[in-house]
Amino acid sequence: MSTTPTRTYIRFPLARRVEHSVMMLSFITLALTGLPQKFPGAPVSIAFVNFLGGIEALRTVHHFAAIVMMLGTVWHIVYFGYLAYVRRTRLGMLPSLQDMKDAWQAFMYNIGRAKSYPQMGRYTFEEKMEYWAFVWGTIIMGVTGFMMWNPITTIRFLPGEVIPAAKAAHGGEALLAVLAIIIWHMYGVHIKRFNRSMWTGRMTEEEMLHEHPLELADIKAGMAERPVDPATLQKRERLYLPVAILLTLFMLAGVYGFVNAEQTALTTVERQPPTVVVFVPQTPTPAPTQTPTLPATETPRVTRTQPGTDSTPGTPASVLTWEGAIGPLLQAKCGTCHGANALGGLNLTTYEDAMRGGASGPVIIPNESADSLLVIIQLQGGHPGQLTPEEIAQVVEWIETGALEK
Amino acid sequence: MSKWFRAHRLQFGLASLALGALLLLVVLTLPVTPVEAAPRPQGEQPADETCLACHQQEGMTAEIGGESVPITINGERFSTSVHGMEAIACVDCHTNITGFPHPEVTASSPRDFSLERYLICQSCHVEQYENVLDSVHQEALAAGNTNAAICTDCHNPHTQPRITHEDTGELLQGARLLIPQTCAQCHNTIYETYAQSVHGAALTQEGNQHVPTCTDCHGVHNIEDPSSHTFRNSTPYLCATCHTNETLMRQYDISTNVLDTYVADFHGTTVKMFEETYPDQPTNKPVCTDCHGVHDIIRADDPNAGIRFKDNLLVKCQQCHPDATAETFTDSWMSHYEPSPFAFPLVFFVNLFYAIFIPAVLGGMTLYVLSDIYRRFIVPRTRAKGAAGK
Repeated sequence: MSTTPTRTYIRFPLARRVEHSVMMLSFITLALTGLPQKFPGAPVSIAFVNFLGGIEALRTVHHFAAIVMMLGTVWHIVYFGYLAYVRRTRLGMLPSLQDMKDAWQAFMYNIGRAKSYPQMGRYTFEEKMEYWAFVWGTIIMGVTGFMMWNPITTIRFLPGEVIPAAKAAHGGEALLAVLAIIIWHMYGVHIKRFNRSMWTGRMTEEEMLHEHPLELADIKAGMAERPVDPATLQKRERLYLPVAILLTLFMLAGVYGFVNAEQTALTTVERQPPTVVVFVPQTPTPAPTQTPTLPATETPRVTRTQPGTDSTPGTPASVLTWEGAIGPLLQAKCGTCHGANALGGLNLTTYEDAMRGGASGPVIIPNESADSLLVIIQLQGGHPGQLTPEEIAQVVEWIETGALEK
Repeated sequence: MSKWFRAHRLQFGLASLALGALLLLVVLTLPVTPVEAAPRPQGEQPADETCLACHQQEGMTAEIGGESVPITINGERFSTSVHGMEAIACVDCHTNITGFPHPEVTASSPRDFSLERYLICQSCHVEQYENVLDSVHQEALAAGNTNAAICTDCHNPHTQPRITHEDTGELLQGARLLIPQTCAQCHNTIYETYAQSVHGAALTQEGNQHVPTCTDCHGVHNIEDPSSHTFRNSTPYLCATCHTNETLMRQYDISTNVLDTYVADFHGTTVKMFEETYPDQPTNKPVCTDCHGVHDIIRADDPNAGIRFKDNLLVKCQQCHPDATAETFTDSWMSHYEPSPFAFPLVFFVNLFYAIFIPAVLGGMTLYVLSDIYRRFIVPRTRAKGAAGK
């Protein structure tokens, strides 16, 4: 510590300094985790998101920092109530016309158009501007943040368009706040003069004289603090305590509601994917030789889930027809004799020939499989070109469905 | 085996004994050491005409593992196929056959036979073959699914027409139409869905050459698993390859800002950033296909199910937002619109407000800060200089 016997004045009690630190950390965290979401294409955004372990982790941090800022605001309001009602502190932060005059005079002084710099009190116009900008920003960010956090709840009262509008405002206001902090706050308390009072809590008499001469005069005159007699103070405290508790509980409930109003979207990483049948061979499966002459094979169908598909499995093209399955089957199994050779007058090469039948008359009677000679012979068994039971069943099914050509 | 062969077995038996042993050796070593790409010299080998003398007969079949396999080859069609035109001989692929009788077929089924024979394709088509090794088909095959497509399932070696330009390697016009038909051989349900979609209908009904055919999204030989998270996460870029193409989209009066507006929105921002960090992990935020469909993509203004209409869109929203029951919820998403006084005016005016408010506030602040810098840091210095000068 300095050994000079300079007199110092308390500017910020410990509670205020802690409050400032909490809000500062919360603000910086919100800015760092928010801006990459506003500028998702910027390489620096991507690098930062990757550093934090992904966009969802970044959002969790953003939400956590937002809760901290909301709690800080709750504290600020309760503490303000205490100062205003119990201590009856002068409300030096309220803006007034004088602040406009001070700002104008300061500007004119800077450019050499005014003789003196304005004399200001506990809070200069610069500090008031910063404070009220923060209040305005917190309200905007809180309201729009709520809308984005709870869109389904919001649109119960407002049109859906307010959600993207809230996002636009949240981003615009964020940009304004960050840049204002950099220009106004950085310059005002770090560059212009490194102002340590938010950390030490104190200001020297010289600093007070330069920056808050009117407040210094009030302190010296004993007018800064309005003395309150202990009895009145106790009475007011007793009155304010239940109010403060209720107010706090009410606002904490508000914060809780803010965070938990709704479950906006399914958090399940994978939505229920509709099943898509992947392997559905056409009938018959074409063979690498000249014509598709293989009968429809009993191929196992592989099903596989494919996320992000809405299509419902359609019906495979598997209605039994001469062209699709039966013709090739009969050609393959019976063609050697009942092909060009036409044994017994029966030629099964074409649909017309097959339907015409052979020396014993028609062998295929549509819808009458039991009376169809082809089926009768095959069911007896032992035919030189014997079909398997499955193949016979297929032929029967074909006949029963009308023995269609196509 | 054919009757003819059976009848003459005795006569050929002795003569083929030594030859058979040699052929067996060839067959056994083939899959391990594939032949070189250049077709083998003709002359000693049987000419195609020799093969076709028998194999051009109608209705020829052979039996493999109890199943009848057609072995008729249409010589004319083969000669107009790309292999025929390139003068690839039968025995260039059927390397195990040097005469008659043919070596005993050891395959247990026709499919087994194909699986043995298709390996010969790589002797000329090594690049395509190696690409297939990275494909989802190869993965299924390796897992024991013998239905998985091999070269000859898509490219019938006896009839395959030329599908790419000889010099440029680009797909020929007609080939785009052949592709869905080829894939449909095994993926018929998907094909039928695709054929009804805005893309598939344009291709299959109008022969439109701009719309994507199967391979445009899935790739050709190294087809990757479309059910993977990697594939899903990269979907916006896949669709954007065409949908941000100004010259292509102008012909159909389709906006090209669909990717930008998607990324600008909450869902797209998330997917974009998520994909940067975890390309192979699942995210619950939607990609193009979740609202527009996959093979069943229809026009947004389709009168029946188009998602331009709020009731249809809400159904899509509810896939992820089951509690969102009011149709106004659909306005939370800007439907690829850029805000204007007519579309999403509230968003437009909020943006306009900040476009004015931010520079106004910051400008005022900067002006004051500059004046303070001038008064505090520059004026004293010039005064000191002035004093020193005097």
